[in-house]
Order: sequence, then C-alpha cells, then structure tokens
Amino acid sequence: MGLQISIRESGDITILDLRGRSTIDGGESELLSNQLQKLVASGVRKLLLNLADLTQVDSSGLSIIVGTYVSLKRQGGDLGLLRPSGRVLEVLTVVHLIDAIPSFQDEAEALASFRPRGYSATS
Amino acid sequence: MTTPCSSAVAPTTQKTALLVASGGEVDELLTNVLASEGWSIQRVVDNQHILALARAKPFDLIVTGRETRVAEDVELLRKIRGARPHVRLIILADKFTPGDVISAMREGAFSYFSAPFEASELAEMVRAAMAEPCWDDGIEVLSGTPEWVSLTARCDLATADRLVQFLHGVRDPSIPEAEKDHVIFAFKEILINAMEHGGHFDPSQHVEISFIRARRAIACRVKDPGKGFSLEELRHAAAGSSPNDLFSHARVRDARGMRPGGFGILLAKKLVDELIYNEKGNEVVLVKYLDPPESPVI
Repeated sequence: MGLQISIRESGDITILDLRGRSTIDGGESELLSNQLQKLVASGVRKLLLNLADLTQVDSSGLSIIVGTYVSLKRQGGDLGLLRPSGRVLEVLTVVHLIDAIPSFQDEAEALASFRPRGYSATS
Repeated sequence: MTTPCSSAVAPTTQKTALLVASGGEVDELLTNVLASEGWSIQRVVDNQHILALARAKPFDLIVTGRETRVAEDVELLRKIRGARPHVRLIILADKFTPGDVISAMREGAFSYFSAPFEASELAEMVRAAMAEPCWDDGIEVLSGTPEWVSLTARCDLATADRLVQFLHGVRDPSIPEAEKDHVIFAFKEILINAMEHGGHFDPSQHVEISFIRARRAIACRVKDPGKGFSLEELRHAAAGSSPNDLFSHARVRDARGMRPGGFGILLAKKLVDELIYNEKGNEVVLVKYLDPPESPVI
C-alpha cells in the first residue's frame, strides 16, 4: 500500500488521516509534502496529522512533518500528531521528535490543544 | 558494470506475466495486482513449464513458486537470461540456504522473498516490476561469501528498493529480527543519501557497498561517487543540529528555501552502534554489535 490521505475539518483545524506509509520509495512522502504545502499555501495554520493507520515512516516523511511544523510555527500556526504507533512511534521516539512535537492519543484532547489557553467550550 | 536499460523488449499491447502456482494468499494477491493493471496472466505448475514458455516467447514478468529450492530458481533464471537478458523474475522461497540471496543477486533476479514475508511488500515489488518501462539489473555482485559481500548499485531509487528487499530476504537465525530491521533501515537511509548527494540519482553513477558479518557484529560500508562533505558543515541536517534544539536545521532549510530533509544521518546514527565517516566524507561504515549467544546451561 502507498499512502492514502483523507482530509477533514474541525472548526479552523484541518485533520489529515494518513493510511499506508510515508517513505521516499514510491513517492509517498512527495505526495504528503505536496498536500501539506497546498494546505499551508491556502491559509491553513492548524494541522493535526492522524498517524493511527500510518505503518511506516522514514527520514523523508520525518523531514516533511518537521518542515511543516517549523513553517507553521513561523507563521503563527501549529501542528500536532495523533496516535502514532508501531514502527512510526519507534522512529519518532528514536530521534526524540515525540517529545518535541505535541503528540496525543485522544482526538478531542488534540483538538483542544489548538485552542487558546483559558478557552472553555462551556464558557 | 551494468548500464541503464536501452535495449529491452519492445512494449507489447498487453503486458504478460508468467506465474508458478504457489496457492492461497500469494496467488490471489498476484492475480489482483496484475489484473488491476490489465495484465494477462499465464499460470504453470513448475519451473520446467516456465522455461519452455519463456524460451518460446517473452514475458514481462515471471514469478517462481514457493515450493522450489532457490538454487533451482536461480538456475532457471540463468537459462532464461541466456535467451532473454532483460527478463524480470521474482523468486519466492519457502526453502532457502544462507547463500541463496547472493546467488539470486548475482544472477540478476529482479527480487527475492524468503518466507515469511509480508504480502503487501510483495505487492509493492510486483508493482515496481510492472512500472519499469525497461529494465537492466543495477546491482552487480563483485564478490560474495556468506560473511562478506561486495557489490555496486546504480544510483536510482528503484535499485535501492530492490537491494533493500534482497537484504530483507537474508535469514540468519543468529541475528534477532529487530536488530536486522534496524541495520537495514539505517543502511537504506545512508544508501539513499549516497545515491542522492554523492551520485545525484544519476543512473550512470554507482555506489560501492560491502556487507560484513562478523561473529558479534554486522558492518556495512557505503562509498559514493561524490566529492564528500563534512558533518561540521551540515547546519541543514538534523545530525548537525544542537541536541537542545531539534529544529535548528529545519529553520535553516526553511530560511534557505530548501526542501524538507536532513534526518537520514541522524536516524542511521540512532539505529546502529557506530557510524564512521572517512576524511573526505564520501565513505561511511555502519556497525551494529550483536549480543553473544547465551551459553548452554550445563
């Protein structure tokens, strides 16, 4: 399986559900890069990458995630990771990115992290 | 030294694959992958039938059965290549010996899968074989023993993928699978760096590679055809970032308008025990130490 990307939105947060792998081999990382660049160019500033069904990532995939994170931060935005597991979690852990980029197991918690501090849905 | 393909069989209106029946999931998978691209499939029961048919007419892809010994498959490939040097043949093997991977590479197999293997990985390799417009082997084994293999690999991603799959096909019960996966992962990162930065993905360029299996270590040496580099100058690579700021290299790349990258060396460093560059920076050795086998309890 290559890489399948589904896009959905929750308020001003764009969620990408990634399925398959993000490696250099079959151009999957390039596909992810192009998609993220398009989104950022169109004004998206809050991105959540759902990695639950991402089975593999290599340096090309990591670089795209980090490049997008840095680019968004520079433009006042943010990026989070949702449910990394298996080999993907292992790779993120090995290079300490799991400590550097906000990572969540729960989608609601991930979405809440994008809101300004002090915000309450009930207030 | 092999050269890029220039004289493959002319494309036919419908691509054809010749398969030895393996049964079960593999047959179903191959049928689905090939049929989805409109390929015609011919099935035979054994290697003898493959040889007769492949001599009579060209096939775009041949996949051997799982039941035959790899030595028989390699011999079959040698005979077919006598008449059809650009044949793409994938070897599937339930039974194998430590030297089989080297034999398969030497004889120019397109790929090699030893059981157990992931069906999805086989599907990817079949798709790669189907996608190649024409094909010449980009891997040349210069010398090979089970302990020391030297080869060259053409500077293109497809060749890197094939070489990595050959490595996955190596079955050595004394190397834990997790350790093997880490070495292959690190090797692939370094190999692609060498092909990209040293060889500029120029298919006329080659990377030199050696694999050495010592009693308590695995070593891989990769030499690229480039001018080399200095790790100290790599402000745009994660390996050159401050340990306290993982993103400093990414900000440098962002400011310079460079595409995202720079994690290959760092990943490789973390996955093996040693990563040693030569002075010029165009040659690197990866070393992974293996725990000694447990002594038998007396």
